[in-house]
Amino acid sequence: MSASIDIDGLTKVFGSGPEAVHAFGPSSLHIGKGEFVSLLGPSGCGKSTLMLIIAGLLEPTSGEVRVDEKTVTGPLTDIGIMFQDNTLVPWRTVWGNVALQLELRGENPSRHRQRIESLLASVKLDGFADRHPYELSGGMQQRAAFCQAMVHDPDTLLFDEPLGKLDAMTRESIRTDLQTLWLSKRPTVVFVTHSIEEAVQLSSKVCLITPRPGRIDRVIDIDLPYPRDLDVKSGADFVGHVREIQAIFHGYGVL
Amino acid sequence: MATASSSLDRDPETSRSRRSLRFLLGGLSRSWMFLAFFVGFFIVWEISIDLFGIPKYILPKPSEIAVKSWADADRLLYYTWITGLEAVLGYIIAILLAVPLGLAIAFSRVMRQTVYPFFVSLEMTPKIAFAPLFISWLGFGLLPKIIIVILVCFFPIVLNAILAFTSLAEELERFVRSTGAGPTRAFFKVRLPAALPQCFVGFKYAAINATVGATIAEFIGSDEGLGFYIQIVTGNMRPDLAFAGIFLLTLLGLALFGIVSVVERLAIPWHISVRRKT
Ligand SMILES: Nc1ncnc2c1ncn2[C@@H]1O[C@H](COP(=O)(O)OP(=O)(O)O)[C@@H](O)[C@H]1O
Ligand SMILES: [Mg+2]
Repeated sequence: MSASIDIDGLTKVFGSGPEAVHAFGPSSLHIGKGEFVSLLGPSGCGKSTLMLIIAGLLEPTSGEVRVDEKTVTGPLTDIGIMFQDNTLVPWRTVWGNVALQLELRGENPSRHRQRIESLLASVKLDGFADRHPYELSGGMQQRAAFCQAMVHDPDTLLFDEPLGKLDAMTRESIRTDLQTLWLSKRPTVVFVTHSIEEAVQLSSKVCLITPRPGRIDRVIDIDLPYPRDLDVKSGADFVGHVREIQAIFHGYGVL
Repeated sequence: MATASSSLDRDPETSRSRRSLRFLLGGLSRSWMFLAFFVGFFIVWEISIDLFGIPKYILPKPSEIAVKSWADADRLLYYTWITGLEAVLGYIIAILLAVPLGLAIAFSRVMRQTVYPFFVSLEMTPKIAFAPLFISWLGFGLLPKIIIVILVCFFPIVLNAILAFTSLAEELERFVRSTGAGPTRAFFKVRLPAALPQCFVGFKYAAINATVGATIAEFIGSDEGLGFYIQIVTGNMRPDLAFAGIFLLTLLGLALFGIVSVVERLAIPWHISVRRKT
């Protein structure tokens, strides 16, 4: 079952004294099971920080995160995470990097051969399984990192700008894939992005985060029908949402 | 298409060894360029001696060095073996001691706060300054020389090992934690391979120190080895033989460094410093 996530009065301050950086909060947010929630905001507003706290990889300064009503006190190990910088290791091939996720979990990757193969095929990397990351373009590396994050079949996903390094065309096609995946399996997704269009297209809910210190200022429900293909994107409702969000960021002094 | 066919033979080992072979051959072709340069250097040396009328008790010709040292080849080769033995044994023991210690310091807070500052301050001490003491304690045999080699090799290895095992990229550290992997699994699957490139920086640095340490130790108190030989023949006004000793020491240093470089190429063919060379 995909998880529900509650963020409660969460604050993060890095360091202390005059050097302290107030990176995020205080903010609260409820993410229901199977929701697709985007964290949208300019760079430096604390999106990655928030995501890492949800994952249990960073301790909040105050407040707490609850996943399925349980307070997060350490790393969550049954979720899928795509970090902002990809976590491919240079000494392993694409195949080996995907397998690494399983091996670190004590599983034998050759037992999951078929799953790895179909994952790679789903992002069109099937011809590149035995290439090393340095032989791939930035976009291909990100697709490999996607497979690495998904191979243990998590039903709660934290994605930190997963499409950041992709060209516009690949980006569009992976968005569609991601949406198809979400519609079929209904994982809970927390999706960090700074693209308004991307957030509106994919999300059931978009959280607008103010510039430093980052706070979740508005939560906008996107009630457009799925699948949101090119037709939906050129429709007046879609454009209306994008305009609305643009106007709010304009108000923050960002746009 | 090449990519399609390569995905069929998904055996990381074969492509890896093929790649290593390519690296080694690349290394050979580069050393031919070196060789050409060295030959040129000796030719200029040979000609300059006559050209400027330099007396041979100051600086002999390379050809003369070759002829004279050939006459003393037995002794030179035996001493090369002795000095090489000191350098290699000391170097290997230094690695065996320094890597575990580096690991302990990297992974233990207590060690980092006690032993580590001690080693950092010792780093400022010229280790070779201990050489006369070891000779006086342990006499003229191999043992004090090996200990001195260990001493001069130890620090670069420890310090680089500490750096290597404490500088895993933050995202990788987080990735490992998010999988719930235990310390042993995390070590062998991620921390160790990620640390190897920085470890080899220390190994290579130490390989250079090894022959230097052995030579100086022999200068201070010895009755065999190339350092001993160079000192004796220089005292006898035989710079030709001294040069022969220096030449053999150079070969020894090159051989040791070369072996470590080959091992590096085999161990981390994926690393940018290795890939960039071909
Ligand atoms: N480990 C850290 N130490 C100090 N400051 C940090 C650290 N990580 C992030 N920050 C600061 O916190 C703020 C938010 O960073 P981040 O969460 O990466 O923003 P975003 O992902 O939205 O671009 C930034 O000002 C950043 O400089
Ligand atoms: Mg970020």
